[in-house]
Amino acid sequence: MNFSRLDWTVLVFTLLLIIVYGVYRSRTSKNLEGYLLSDRQLPWWLVLLSIMGTQASAITFLTVPGQAYSEGMRFVQYYFGLPLAMVVICIIFVPVFHRLKVFTAYEYLEQRFDVKTRLLTSFLFLLSRGLSTGISIIAPSLVLHSMLGWDMTFTTLFMGGLLIIYTVSGGAKAVAYTQQLQIIIIYAAMFIAAWWAIKMLPAGIGITEALHVGGKSGKLNVITSGVTEHGFDWKDRYNIWSGVIGGFFLALSYFGTDQSQVGRYLTARSEQESKLGLLMNGLAKVPLQFGILLIGVLIFAFYQFTKEPAYFNLAQERTLRQSVNAGEFAAAEKKYLQVQDEKRKTAMALGNALKQDDATKVNQLRTQLQQEQQQATQVRDSIKNIVKKTIPGSDGNDTNYIFLRFVGDFLPNGLVGLIIAIIFLASWSSIAAALHALASCTMIDFHKRLSKTPTTPLREYRWSQAYALIWGIFCVVVAQFSYNLGNSLVEAVNILGSWFYGTILGVFLVAIFMKRVGGNAVFFGAILAEAVVISVYSLDLLSFLWLNLVGAAAVLLFSGLLQVTFFSKSSKVEPRVAIKK
Amino acid sequence: MPPVEKERIPVFKKWRYWYWLVIGFLLFLIVLFYLFTKHFA
Repeated sequence: MNFSRLDWTVLVFTLLLIIVYGVYRSRTSKNLEGYLLSDRQLPWWLVLLSIMGTQASAITFLTVPGQAYSEGMRFVQYYFGLPLAMVVICIIFVPVFHRLKVFTAYEYLEQRFDVKTRLLTSFLFLLSRGLSTGISIIAPSLVLHSMLGWDMTFTTLFMGGLLIIYTVSGGAKAVAYTQQLQIIIIYAAMFIAAWWAIKMLPAGIGITEALHVGGKSGKLNVITSGVTEHGFDWKDRYNIWSGVIGGFFLALSYFGTDQSQVGRYLTARSEQESKLGLLMNGLAKVPLQFGILLIGVLIFAFYQFTKEPAYFNLAQERTLRQSVNAGEFAAAEKKYLQVQDEKRKTAMALGNALKQDDATKVNQLRTQLQQEQQQATQVRDSIKNIVKKTIPGSDGNDTNYIFLRFVGDFLPNGLVGLIIAIIFLASWSSIAAALHALASCTMIDFHKRLSKTPTTPLREYRWSQAYALIWGIFCVVVAQFSYNLGNSLVEAVNILGSWFYGTILGVFLVAIFMKRVGGNAVFFGAILAEAVVISVYSLDLLSFLWLNLVGAAAVLLFSGLLQVTFFSKSSKVEPRVAIKK
Repeated sequence: MPPVEKERIPVFKKWRYWYWLVIGFLLFLIVLFYLFTKHFA
């Protein structure tokens, strides 16, 4: 890939701009309130951008367009439960957190139950967030490895190191202000990338024809029911039901009980402004995600009129060409180019037929295009199998590389640098928030709660910085083991979250709605629920989005049962804190 | 226990309007996406 001097200039300038701006805005009180919560002084729009920046990691911008390219746009349904969850969180969670002036969501659980329940949920959060942040760190390293040929380990250490310095030195205020700038740059750059894909379409093919080609190849499957000829497919990952129901519980858990998000809206100057930030996020998320996926479809459409790589991972492609299976790969690639040639002719003919409004011809060409697309998919699958048997540890999945390959091959100098920069910005944006959340929980829920030594606000501030540093190192180490994760990175992170989110959400729901359940019942109920979630996942009984619902429901059920059977006398049955509904 | 302040709801007077807004918005998007899928399929 040609990474020109102009690209380097744009990349370095953009990263420096963020770091300088972050340092400039990082002046805050040197105590826990200042470092972890920005003195609770931020306006709602900054909270909104901070929430969006925390959720939209580099993975979002790397792999989501690739997912639309390979599987179509149905991934957008994953976010359908989010808007409603935002309203519920504003009614149930936000007032409690603000009234109790907590630093972490889990502090509330001690006030409601006991210290062991608080520590258990905080531990589950630390475990899931620590691991998923490690996976997130690998995303920008993949960019440099694949496009510039940099060593993965070196790249991860280099990027993680920069991130740690920036995160540890800046406070929550710096995180929020840099996220504001990052989100603006990111969406502007993605819009330019989409515009460029449309601009490069051949003469006579506009955005409408491009969308028709994408749609007729099955890539605009935004709404899917999950129903097959054998009934509802519970293992289907993305459909309207798993999105609305499973996605609702996932969003409820992520925004209501995950400290990396709770920590963002606790920085608001008032309860009202926290709520407004969350509600606006609920309205904006689905259209924005739709836009990112649409970029993937436009890239797919663009490749129907030009030479499409048979395999998008440039580094692995090079290895393949020098391996013992090079001949087999070359034969498969030749076959792919032949199918592609046919597809190109059909796509051009389809574009012309659409312009002439010839319905009969359009129908005939649609069927032909679908058949050719099936052939292309089969050949690509055979190439993935060659990759799997040639490169040990690889799963042959090139979804993460589709967008990057397009950027590297077709975008002009300068814009390539900007796209690489936004990958870093998005990564920093979410990881900085996560590291702060991990440091907050370790400091507040464990260190401060369990330590018996009196200390000063300045020492607490220094300890928080030390924990951010330790978690940063932990995440970089995890990243070293995440390179060859099955499926795309975004799914790996989501699956990991679904293992724990349901259980954590269940504990909070018991706290708020089941006032007769005490600490012992919910503690053991949560442990049993976690065992159920892991069993359901291991036995492959349900798609991962349903695990959120299973985990939450299991905690409610087990806690209720344990309370009325084993702990009816031993546990306190009234909450220490009145919850306003 | 800290004193309970009167809860303020952003923009609207009652939470039910927010429910209606987000459910309506979501339904609008779902219908729009469905028509989008159908139109280009």
